Amino acid sequence: MYFKELYSKKESGSLPQLVVAADENMQSRYVVQRILQLREEGVPLEEMAVLFRSSYLSFDLEIELAKANIPFVKFGGFKFIETAHVKDMIAYLRVLENPRDVVSWNRILLLIDGVGPRTCEKIIDDILHNRIGSHQPGREALVSTKFWTGFHGFPQGVQKLFDVLKDASLQVYPPSEKAFRILQYYEPILRARYDDHVKRVKDLEMFQNITERYNDVSSLLTDLALEPPTESVVDIESPGKEEERLVLSTIHSAKGLEWHSVFVIYALEGRFPTMRAVSNDDEMEEERRLMYVACTRAKENLSITYPINIFDRESGMVLSKPSRFIQGISENLLEPWVVE
Amino acid sequence: MKKFTLTSHTGSTLTLVHPTRFTIDYRKELNDAQYKAVTSLDGPYLVIAGAGTGKTRAIVFRVAYLVELGVKPDRILLLTFTRKASREMLRRASMLLDSRCDNVSGGTFHSFANGVLRKYASLLGYDNNFTILDQGDAQDVINLIRTRMKLDTRQKRFPRKETIYDLHSRALNTMTPVDELLAADYPHYVELLEDIRKIHAAYMVYKKQNNLMDYDDLLVNLAELLRQQESVRASLSARYTYIMVDEYQDTNKIQAEIVRLLAYKHQNVMVVGDDAQSIYSFRGSSIKNILSFPEEFPGCVSITLEENFRSSMPILRLANEILRGSMIR
Repeated sequence: MYFKELYSKKESGSLPQLVVAADENMQSRYVVQRILQLREEGVPLEEMAVLFRSSYLSFDLEIELAKANIPFVKFGGFKFIETAHVKDMIAYLRVLENPRDVVSWNRILLLIDGVGPRTCEKIIDDILHNRIGSHQPGREALVSTKFWTGFHGFPQGVQKLFDVLKDASLQVYPPSEKAFRILQYYEPILRARYDDHVKRVKDLEMFQNITERYNDVSSLLTDLALEPPTESVVDIESPGKEEERLVLSTIHSAKGLEWHSVFVIYALEGRFPTMRAVSNDDEMEEERRLMYVACTRAKENLSITYPINIFDRESGMVLSKPSRFIQGISENLLEPWVVE
Repeated sequence: MKKFTLTSHTGSTLTLVHPTRFTIDYRKELNDAQYKAVTSLDGPYLVIAGAGTGKTRAIVFRVAYLVELGVKPDRILLLTFTRKASREMLRRASMLLDSRCDNVSGGTFHSFANGVLRKYASLLGYDNNFTILDQGDAQDVINLIRTRMKLDTRQKRFPRKETIYDLHSRALNTMTPVDELLAADYPHYVELLEDIRKIHAAYMVYKKQNNLMDYDDLLVNLAELLRQQESVRASLSARYTYIMVDEYQDTNKIQAEIVRLLAYKHQNVMVVGDDAQSIYSFRGSSIKNILSFPEEFPGCVSITLEENFRSSMPILRLANEILRGSMIR
């Protein structure tokens, strides 16, 4: 690497911070509150950015931002609830909340082998007219044996879906358990439909983590639905829009850009650098350059955060160490903070 | 005004304008390192531009400087990564100097390749009116081939057209064998390696037979043309007497080769970039291009831009420290 030592005439400024949070959601809440604080101090939202190594690492934050009513645009990856597989998962949970949700039935029935639009329509018809009584407005239908009567004359997969839903519908299960049961059913479907299922499974792990924070499915679904419906791609790309928006971006998509205040989240060993880079020197060096690119986007404020106690399903390990690129850096350069 | 007429080895003539006659005060507008980069002329130059150090400004001023010095604008070639970037740089140069800068040959590697191949593709066995396949078109062609080869009727699951195309393109751009990519990213298809290879081979043949080029072909064929055809290489190298390449750390091996071939007569190449910001290896960019530039171009002069105009010192101290971790190794 060529030697270089960047300097600037802006001698003073606040020290970059290294912020440790007890878990993922505390990290998200810290970022949200800091953003609101900075905004109070007069920094407009579009002068702030949250950067991350991989697109899925911002999912939890996206939910917290929506709850706090902070508008944002995301670059370098789909927003969490816009991805097809997350939409699928949400659809399964939705029919458990509202068995009259025709849109969601349509979505999950079409995922079954051998079910096309016409079969799908017949099944939905059967659900609405034969399984849910007209006097039953919604969820109560799920406790009746009538709802779960066996299917005849439909592809086998239909019965399988209903078996899973029946199991997941049990009231004693918390949302995370319901999601877990559905995920086990859904994973083979995911694998069959998407060549890049390895990446998508990561998203669903994130989904699973998020469900763990909820006591009931309906508040989970409400939070997930909070996203303003106007956030289509068309809106994002129209340049004339004056509205103030926070930027969420992968580091790759942030190259060449700059903001007054920058948050680098998930600076966690195993996430940034990624697990995959650990066994490859070249990849590890590129991860370091990514950290360099991320930090040099900031003009005035830089906050690097990491959560601890993150369970990594792939390796079975608990991740708790800060990224190696910032670990051991003197407190005179990087001020340690803790969220409580 | 006294004139001094230079004869360059490419045969083009350059009327040297005395610095006191310049309309732009380069010395005042630029810091030392930028000034050095902007006013460097013949020979190979490597400009290492750290984050936020005014890289674009340096390129814009150098375009203006060359033009002001009397270099014909269309003899200057500025290669960038997006069309927007080259448009923006030339627009700024025009505002800085005058509209002569609009005539500088600027664009992406792909648009430049397209322009050259429209003239010379027949030398490679294509018609000059070849059709360009965008990514979607390319995937459709792959789908067609897969159906023709009856590989879609198998009981076993077969990769989608997007996946087959991705493997083809990345193998080419990263110069990695398909089997390695398959093992790393789509391990569930490893046993289909031979079928995938067959489709890739048929895809190449199909394109040639039907006078089609996908995006990757534009670069591959330009490199091939320059390698093979001495006369084309000579005429292009003589035509573009000053070559500039932006974001050199993001170039792939084929692009670096194109630059070498284009500059072979005069070696007047200035590449600008930052090795510390090379983050696209998954897309085929090779940090080796920028690291080995001094060896590829003997006599190369390196200029490092270190004054950052973006961040406060505390942020830069941390950034420097993060890089130091790497250089220890």
